[in-house]
Amino acid sequence: MGIADARAMYPSLPVVDADPEADLRFLETVADWCDRYTPLVGLDAPDGLLLDVTGCAHLFGGEAALLRDLVARLVQQGLRARAAVADTVGAAWAVARYGKAGIVPRGETGASILSLPIAALRVDTETVAGLKTAGLTCIADLTERPRAPFAARFGKTLLLRLDQALGQADEPIMPRMPVPAAMAEQRFPEPIAREADVIGTVEHLGHQLVPVLERRGEGGRLFQIALFRADGAVHRLEIGTGSPLRDPARIGKLFKERLAVLGDVCDPGFGYDMVRLSALVTERMDPAQTGLAGPDHAEELAHLIDRLGARFGLIRVTRPVPQDTHIPEFAVLNVPAHAPRPASAALPPVAQDTLSTVRPLRLLVRPEPVDAVAQVPDGPPVRFSWRQVMHQVARAEGPERIAMEWWRDDRGKKLTRDYFRVESDVGARMWVYREGLYDREIERPEVLRWYLHGLFA
Amino acid sequence: MDHAAAQPTLNQLRQTLAGIDPSHAPRLAGVERLVDIAAPVDAVLGGGLACGALHEFAPSAPVHLAATSGFATALAARASGDRKQILWILTDYAAGEGGGPYGPGLDLFGMALERLLILRVAKPVDVLWAMEEALRCRAVACVIAELTSDGSAADLTATRRLALAAREGVSAQISGFGLLVRHKATVMPSAASTRWEIAAAPSRPDVYGGLGRVRFDLSLHKNRRGPSGRWIIEWDHHERAFQQAVPVAVASPAFNRPDRAPWVRAG
Repeated sequence: MGIADARAMYPSLPVVDADPEADLRFLETVADWCDRYTPLVGLDAPDGLLLDVTGCAHLFGGEAALLRDLVARLVQQGLRARAAVADTVGAAWAVARYGKAGIVPRGETGASILSLPIAALRVDTETVAGLKTAGLTCIADLTERPRAPFAARFGKTLLLRLDQALGQADEPIMPRMPVPAAMAEQRFPEPIAREADVIGTVEHLGHQLVPVLERRGEGGRLFQIALFRADGAVHRLEIGTGSPLRDPARIGKLFKERLAVLGDVCDPGFGYDMVRLSALVTERMDPAQTGLAGPDHAEELAHLIDRLGARFGLIRVTRPVPQDTHIPEFAVLNVPAHAPRPASAALPPVAQDTLSTVRPLRLLVRPEPVDAVAQVPDGPPVRFSWRQVMHQVARAEGPERIAMEWWRDDRGKKLTRDYFRVESDVGARMWVYREGLYDREIERPEVLRWYLHGLFA
Repeated sequence: MDHAAAQPTLNQLRQTLAGIDPSHAPRLAGVERLVDIAAPVDAVLGGGLACGALHEFAPSAPVHLAATSGFATALAARASGDRKQILWILTDYAAGEGGGPYGPGLDLFGMALERLLILRVAKPVDVLWAMEEALRCRAVACVIAELTSDGSAADLTATRRLALAAREGVSAQISGFGLLVRHKATVMPSAASTRWEIAAAPSRPDVYGGLGRVRFDLSLHKNRRGPSGRWIIEWDHHERAFQQAVPVAVASPAFNRPDRAPWVRAG
């Protein structure tokens, strides 16, 4: 029925545009919520969710109880849902949509779907219509007949779907999230809202998770907590660590930092009724002998880096690592401190025939243009102004000529630099350079440009 | 009351004060770790800058920011004698304003690159939080934290927290050595043990007329343990040691020496 016809019948009919993206987002949040039942939740857009409850059902008192709980909670949230549990994805899909929703007993998969219409096989409408013209309407009509003509007429999909529904072909559920290596969870009859309680719970869960990791000889590198809010929203927080970790107190502390910095993002609202701690990435971790001589500084440092990383992000805690290039701005790379240290971490030796250091202490993010006056085009500046302040050069050393790397693509585009270490009349030292070689790269001396690149102590 | 008679009263008052605030406790010789500078400065400081305390540095003019961070770097280089780490904390804004710490330069200056950790944060409060955490950590010898402009986030309360954290971080080796570098001098009260204003001083040129060793003009404005003062000292980055500076321009170099041009040194 068109909108015009519908409005003719009900003039007050509200009309809302379809918004498939918002629908999908909503489905995602429902899927997040369904994580409480199993870590293996797959999306079946536009309107379905697939949950692999293998091995989970007993936690809720059996499949029937799980199903009742799930549907009841969804109804409480104002959703209409039909759910079915079956041996195969296809059968559950068919029964939930076209059959009498509920539990298909083990081994009765075939019997339960044979009487359902062919649309229950997840095939497109053309196929359904085509089969209907042939007088085939229910699934039983397909199973009784030889398969080859169906494959020839409708393609492989129809038979694949049939086999999948009957359990003769495999069909995995694609989980939305990576399945954690180990996890522990805690449910509350009364939701908790205080941060201290959440952290306490995380630590408590850590005590359950750690023995699992310990048995495998592993430690976690990436932990996640999922906070299931009473109203259905789910917050997920992750922390990475520099080295494998299985110390509940430290896990709790790291999440505390993370929560502190997130602040309002994790609004507890009416409280969380379930908390799950999972180790998403694990690594081998051998027990280490603690020294008798004194506290282990390496571990303490790793812990500090983890805490700073949990608060500000692990990529913000960096360690300068020398690179094999002579271009000043690329001579060191700040790599995350938790990453393994590269073997060849040594600075190239710098020939130094001066009492001052030849490289500045602070390097500007990018060279800043300065207005400089030099006596001769090739000489050092006599004075220059940087950030509106005039500096008189008392002494200068240089030039140190640094040519750009000719083997790179931008050959000829980047100009050679002549660096000078200059000391102003008040004693401040700066690293300035002139861009381009006069007479070779640059024809006219008046277009020579000067930059300030760094500051010496 | 004459001087000798006042001494017992003074001692008693000091003990009462130490009961209220442990940071005023009289020091025990040999127990405390000190980072020494140069003889005349150490005399005023009682042997050197104390570990387990906060020290504040500010440039006397914006142009001396690099010298200020250079002095802090030199102190950190002296502090991290054993295999301990140095953490340098600064905001993104500070790095944009005065440039970020540059590895090769720091390495040449005496701070070994493999001991340096750099933390870049977004806000000044984060600098203070991270500094407090790091000061408590015994694996970190020295924490350098930079605050842009006058660093109004580091008020009396905040610096007090840092000073206490530094005290907690004290261990048998050097640790809990907090250096707060403000980009601009401030008159705000602070709980730091010492407050310095740093400027670069013109160096004594080498025999070829090139740049000499880096010189710092130190003004000690606040010192909990003694008088303030002003000195000019030199940093020898090969020896990683401070030296008293020989005064500049006692005899100015001869004007016309035809044997070389003033700028001949390359590289």
